[in-house]
Amino acid sequence: MSKHKDTLIEVRDLSVHFPIKTRKLFKTEVQMLRAVDGVSFDIKRGETVGLVGESGSGKTTVGRAILRAIDPTDGEVIFHRKKKGGIDLAHASEAELRKVRSKLNMAFGESGGGIKVHNLADDLLRAFRPEMSLVFQDPYSSLNPRMTVRDIIAEPLIASGKYKNREKVDARVREIAARCKLNLEHLRRFPHAFSGGQRQRICIARALVSKPKFVVCDESVSALDVSIQAEIVNLLKDLQEETGVSFLFIAHDLSVVAQMSHRVAVLYVGKLVEYAPTEKLFFAPKHPYTHALLSAIPSADPDAGFDPIRLQGEIPNPLAAPSGCRFHTRCPFARDRCSAEQPEWREIEPDHFVACHYAKEFNFSRS
Amino acid sequence: MSKMLSVENLSISFRTDEGVITPVKGVSFTVEKGRTLGLVGESGSGKSISTKALMQLLPGTARLGAASRMIYTAKDGQQISLGNLRHGSKELRRIRGGEIGMIFQEPMASFSPVYTIGNQMMEAIMLHRGLKKREARQFAIGMLNKVGISNAAARVDQYPHELSGGMRQRAMIALTLSAGPALLIADEPTTALDVTIQAQVLDLMRDLQRELGMGMIFITHDLGVIAQIADDVAVMYLGTIVERGPAKEVIRNPQHPYTQGLLDAIPSLDHLHDRLKPVPGDIPSPTARPGGCPFHTRCTQAIAGTCEVHEPPETSAIPGCAVRCWLHTSQGRSAA
Ligand SMILES: Nc1ncnc2c1ncn2[C@@H]1O[C@H](COP(=O)(O)OP(=O)(O)OP(=O)(O)O)[C@@H](O)[C@H]1O
Ligand SMILES: Nc1ncnc2c1ncn2[C@@H]1O[C@H](COP(=O)(O)OP(=O)(O)OP(=O)(O)O)[C@@H](O)[C@H]1O
Ligand code: SF4
Ligand SMILES: [Mg+2]
Ligand SMILES: [Mg+2]
Repeated sequence: MSKHKDTLIEVRDLSVHFPIKTRKLFKTEVQMLRAVDGVSFDIKRGETVGLVGESGSGKTTVGRAILRAIDPTDGEVIFHRKKKGGIDLAHASEAELRKVRSKLNMAFGESGGGIKVHNLADDLLRAFRPEMSLVFQDPYSSLNPRMTVRDIIAEPLIASGKYKNREKVDARVREIAARCKLNLEHLRRFPHAFSGGQRQRICIARALVSKPKFVVCDESVSALDVSIQAEIVNLLKDLQEETGVSFLFIAHDLSVVAQMSHRVAVLYVGKLVEYAPTEKLFFAPKHPYTHALLSAIPSADPDAGFDPIRLQGEIPNPLAAPSGCRFHTRCPFARDRCSAEQPEWREIEPDHFVACHYAKEFNFSRS
Repeated sequence: MSKMLSVENLSISFRTDEGVITPVKGVSFTVEKGRTLGLVGESGSGKSISTKALMQLLPGTARLGAASRMIYTAKDGQQISLGNLRHGSKELRRIRGGEIGMIFQEPMASFSPVYTIGNQMMEAIMLHRGLKKREARQFAIGMLNKVGISNAAARVDQYPHELSGGMRQRAMIALTLSAGPALLIADEPTTALDVTIQAQVLDLMRDLQRELGMGMIFITHDLGVIAQIADDVAVMYLGTIVERGPAKEVIRNPQHPYTQGLLDAIPSLDHLHDRLKPVPGDIPSPTARPGGCPFHTRCTQAIAGTCEVHEPPETSAIPGCAVRCWLHTSQGRSAA
């Protein structure tokens, strides 16, 4: 049972490991890359959870594993339905998944591809997988070049079976396209004729068209100019208000994440290091990595000083993740205990989770 | 300071089902050795295609306007008219990569999915730096290290799809920089990177620029990044440059209503609970480009009877800055 009756997604000890072949002089070795390693958090109905962290820390992998676009190695992903109760997506059969898929969606910045894959049978899915990873966060290769934008946006709607006749589909497509600031005259065009930002909006429209309950937005607003970005952020918030949809919002632009999210989780080399309500995380972080990350936000004010904490030491190799606290190799505050003992994931204040031995001693408050 | 690239009056049209559209109209800019020009502006305003035109990378449906001039001064001092290079010519191949390097907005455009990252980098390194295979491999690993990819010796043998979005972007930066370009065009090179690695990559680009006098065109939507890296900035709206000048000056003291709107739309950590403020109004359809000032349909300060009728000339009130807006002309001021 989840703690709150309003929990929508409950992620428990989620792990995703990839086998990696490495060339060693004369032989090839297979090692396990622990892209995601024992991640737990929950998302409430109508809530936006931001997911941030270093490039390669496993954000996209978490998003895809929740939606079962890839199979988790371990752990549970409970999708709580109001009437029918919880279903563990991590272990659900393809037939069971099919029933809930139209309620879950991914607006990969990379998009389309992911959503399309959700409508495929498992074996097809597997065959598709290599191609899917090619479309990561990339609105270019993910949109089918032979489909018009209207058909691309309409596809999940038709697949959901909710809309039967063409006029109704068209009306809904035009409605969501207009709200995503797409030019309606463009619906007949093919995706190659669009700029990066325009494609990103096509991806967002496609993810939202069937009114899902849960959407993973992976770098969905990163290629947009700040004005359109502001418009899309306002749109996502309005839609959330209207329909109660929940978002997992993955982005590198921390100011946008702060604007969008109720709570924010920070991932470092496959493990969560901090999870807290937005204001606490941004203004009173407890983990040294979060602190370093926040210091590196470039300000558009040319007179504001910019002096990011330059983390010393190598970015860890996920094939051989550091012992103890995974951040100890770069943490300015690390002590002996940090390399020996893995810090516990604990709630140090209500709703404020952190994995650091000395979190209680730090005061990183920013005004 | 010496000018390495001069673009004058660049216009680009496409044949489409809805007729001919002209998404870039009369764009002029220059890039100097060792300096960075930041290109910002509306999504779809023509930033990517303007720079692709330099390398003849536009699709067959594209046409350059007759008055377009793109003059590049090569490493050996030779002046080359980029618009006259023929597709598939030896000269164009020499320019691409070795003289002008491009980091593409679409990360997969530079990598083939069927070869490892290392093979693709080594090919470029052998071609442009004349290294042998073994040295090229070492050079590639060194370059991957420099862009912050850990365990580069193993990553070099992986395929593009096995890397995360940001790693792929960094591998692409490493690939482009390996060829040692004199002019680097970077189209949204850091959007997939977290801010700490972004800071590291920007440092690397600045270092190379200082060492080699590399000129740079840096396209981004992040005005924070512009404030960090660009010497000059040009702001584009609907295919024209509406304002340009030293980056810090333009950001501190924007003159054009569009630039002002863009700066107002930036999300700020200090105002978490305020609704974001986009530029009001809808982006016009490319088939119906507004007459007069292209921004007049969304401008809150438009001068009726002037802005929707006549295209504003470029004026310069502040030295080094230029703006296209009737508010900054004597005619406009007297009409207002
Ligand atoms: N299909 C795959 N095969 C092998 N390794 C993979 C695969 N997909 C992801 N990985 C690895 O898993 C790790 C996490 O990748 P992921 O794409 O989730 O990172 P991310 O946090 O989304 O990064 P970014 O911010 O750069 O997009 C990386 O080390 C990546 O190389
Ligand atoms: N092949 C094409 N056929 C027709 N129109 C095109 C084609 N390629 C680009 N365009 C149009 O040209 C305009 C400029 O595109 P471009 O990719 O340069 O925009 P951009 O400024 O780079 O935008 P973004 O910031 O979103 O990447 C867009 O409106 C786009 O629709
Ligand atoms: S010329 Fe007129 S419409 Fe255009 S930006 Fe200036 S005031 Fe606004
Ligand atoms: Mg990712
Ligand atoms: Mg672009």
